Amino acid sequence: MSEIAGKLYTWVNARLPIANTFERHLSKHPVPSKVNFWYLFGALAAVTLIIQVVTGIWLIMPYSNTEEQAFSSIEYIMRDVDYGWVIRYMHTTGASLFFAVVYLHMFRGLLYGSYQKPKELVWIFGCTIYLAMMAEGFLGYVLPYGQMSYWGAQVIISLFGAIPYIGESLELWVRGDYYISGITVSRFFALHVVALPLVLIALVFLHLVALHEVGAGNPEGVDIEKYLDDDGVPLDSVPFFPYKVLNALIAIGVFMTVFSIIMFFFPEGGGYFIEMANFQEANPLVTPDHIAPVWYYAPFYTMLRAIPDPLGGLIVMAAAVAIFFVVPWLDRSKVASIRYKGIYSKIAITLFGVSFLTLGYLGTVGVTEVRKTMSIICTVIYFAYFLLMPLYTKFEKTYQVPERL
Amino acid sequence: MINKLILRINLFVFFLFFFITIDAAEGGACKDYGECDKFKYTLNDTESLQRGASTFINYCYGCHSLKYSRWGRVAKDLKIPEEIFFENLVFDDSIKSGDLMVGAMPSESAEWFGVMPPDLTLVSRYKGDDWIYSYLRAYYEDSSKQYGVNNLVYPGTAMPNVLLSLQGNQKLVCKNVPLIASNGGEQRDDFGNTVFEEKCGFLEVEEGTGTLSKEEFDKLIYDLTNFLVYVGEPIKATRERIGWYVIFYFLIFTALSILLYREFHKDYNT
Repeated sequence: MSEIAGKLYTWVNARLPIANTFERHLSKHPVPSKVNFWYLFGALAAVTLIIQVVTGIWLIMPYSNTEEQAFSSIEYIMRDVDYGWVIRYMHTTGASLFFAVVYLHMFRGLLYGSYQKPKELVWIFGCTIYLAMMAEGFLGYVLPYGQMSYWGAQVIISLFGAIPYIGESLELWVRGDYYISGITVSRFFALHVVALPLVLIALVFLHLVALHEVGAGNPEGVDIEKYLDDDGVPLDSVPFFPYKVLNALIAIGVFMTVFSIIMFFFPEGGGYFIEMANFQEANPLVTPDHIAPVWYYAPFYTMLRAIPDPLGGLIVMAAAVAIFFVVPWLDRSKVASIRYKGIYSKIAITLFGVSFLTLGYLGTVGVTEVRKTMSIICTVIYFAYFLLMPLYTKFEKTYQVPERL
Repeated sequence: MINKLILRINLFVFFLFFFITIDAAEGGACKDYGECDKFKYTLNDTESLQRGASTFINYCYGCHSLKYSRWGRVAKDLKIPEEIFFENLVFDDSIKSGDLMVGAMPSESAEWFGVMPPDLTLVSRYKGDDWIYSYLRAYYEDSSKQYGVNNLVYPGTAMPNVLLSLQGNQKLVCKNVPLIASNGGEQRDDFGNTVFEEKCGFLEVEEGTGTLSKEEFDKLIYDLTNFLVYVGEPIKATRERIGWYVIFYFLIFTALSILLYREFHKDYNT
């Protein structure tokens, strides 16, 4: 038996680089021996992506992408499909937690300079993944065709209308109709289940290939390639498989425990993961009292609201996402990790983190005068973090990075 | 040292930012009623659900459908034998077990009430159970309205108080209530007597006008709300039961992976 298996392995391996790939990317792929928990969110993002793809495929089977049946087909899944509720709640919980781990993953990048030379492309592919995720999440939220799907889509699509000259025709082109209708739902469905997942998976592949080319970072910002053993393997590294896979396994265990607590006991996430108004079928004649985005768009929604002019709001919101792409060239520091950066960087990243959270909170509640002022202050801090980065990273006093991990 | 200082400043800034934004409480979901009454569902109490289903079908189903729910499923989940269920709660012989509870309302009903009575399958999910429990108990006499009643939770509601004969005639009354001092206790005058003030907006049922006592009526509404929570998500009880097993599984999974991790990391940590 094992002889046959051995022969088959040799046969396949001569035609497909299985052993090579396994060695290069897993069993002999060197990763820094000492990292902290911040370095686990990438693996968790991969896990959530897989959950989303698998549950997504099963949701497509009973879902109906027509105006008349979209909403009731969701209830059909929740009631009549065997374990349909498990699949659906996994998908809704997965969506929110995907964003949660990606936000933490991105913050890790900012903390430890995971975008610095030569990792610029890894970072840029990552930012593009985030962009694709935002589109994917928005399209998916429209599919259940509840009140918030409808009115959320109304707000987002009308943003296109703020673009000068081509705005109105662009809006019509995106919607495919003069108002949001079954046509919009079915095209969003196609994009959500085919187009964007393909883009996402391709980008994740590129993100990983680029990462494996330049090697993973570490919280010290030490270049492990400096000290190699006789085989050319970095001294401060361990093979990815099995050592780092086991780290990830623990992380997955903890993550899935949290995932299950939410999914089985708080699937609506207190109205933040599934908004209450979305349990009402879309009604073009009734506007909900309070249109709020899902939590993961909230910071950007606050920026949009803070600017009175629609086009200005759109530009600010787009810039808030776009600015991530140029971070590798904004950071002029000699060191990568926040541990060895100076006091200005430490203050800057704190203010940035706080203002991002505050913007997020503000996006989920109604507007008052105080909140409006706070939105503007936080938006300014958000941009100042990036735009002043060339200055404070260049002129601050940094600390000596150790030679070894 | 300096890092600790930074951490402290950070935390301070964090709380400053966060709390400055939490101002001005928005109007609650229960409007003039004030805070909604808290409702705690008991989906394992089959008898309560059965009573709730019976109340719903007798008093509500005439106007409100449950169009995503199926007759047979309700009978099965509520552990009512199908013959008994169909004999006592289904008034149309043509209805089969797998049929959806699409309602008995003719389409011209929108003209009767001004609006079409909404489907209530998901009402517990978009309004919340606290809201339903408060709403159904917050009707009061108001002769200016079409049906002679208004509602504190939903002012101007189009629905008449269908349960009036059970609850009795509820009115808004004014009462003398102890004045609350700034320290949170009752305010007293110089002689130690409690100071009263007249406050309005209290709900009070005229005695002897309803067939149920206040407690009995509250219980009826409790059961009805409980049923609506069930029908909003029939698998809710199952979900919360299975959840414990899944969490337990992942805790074991985590523990085993920690042990495996330790075993492997002996390789390079020594």
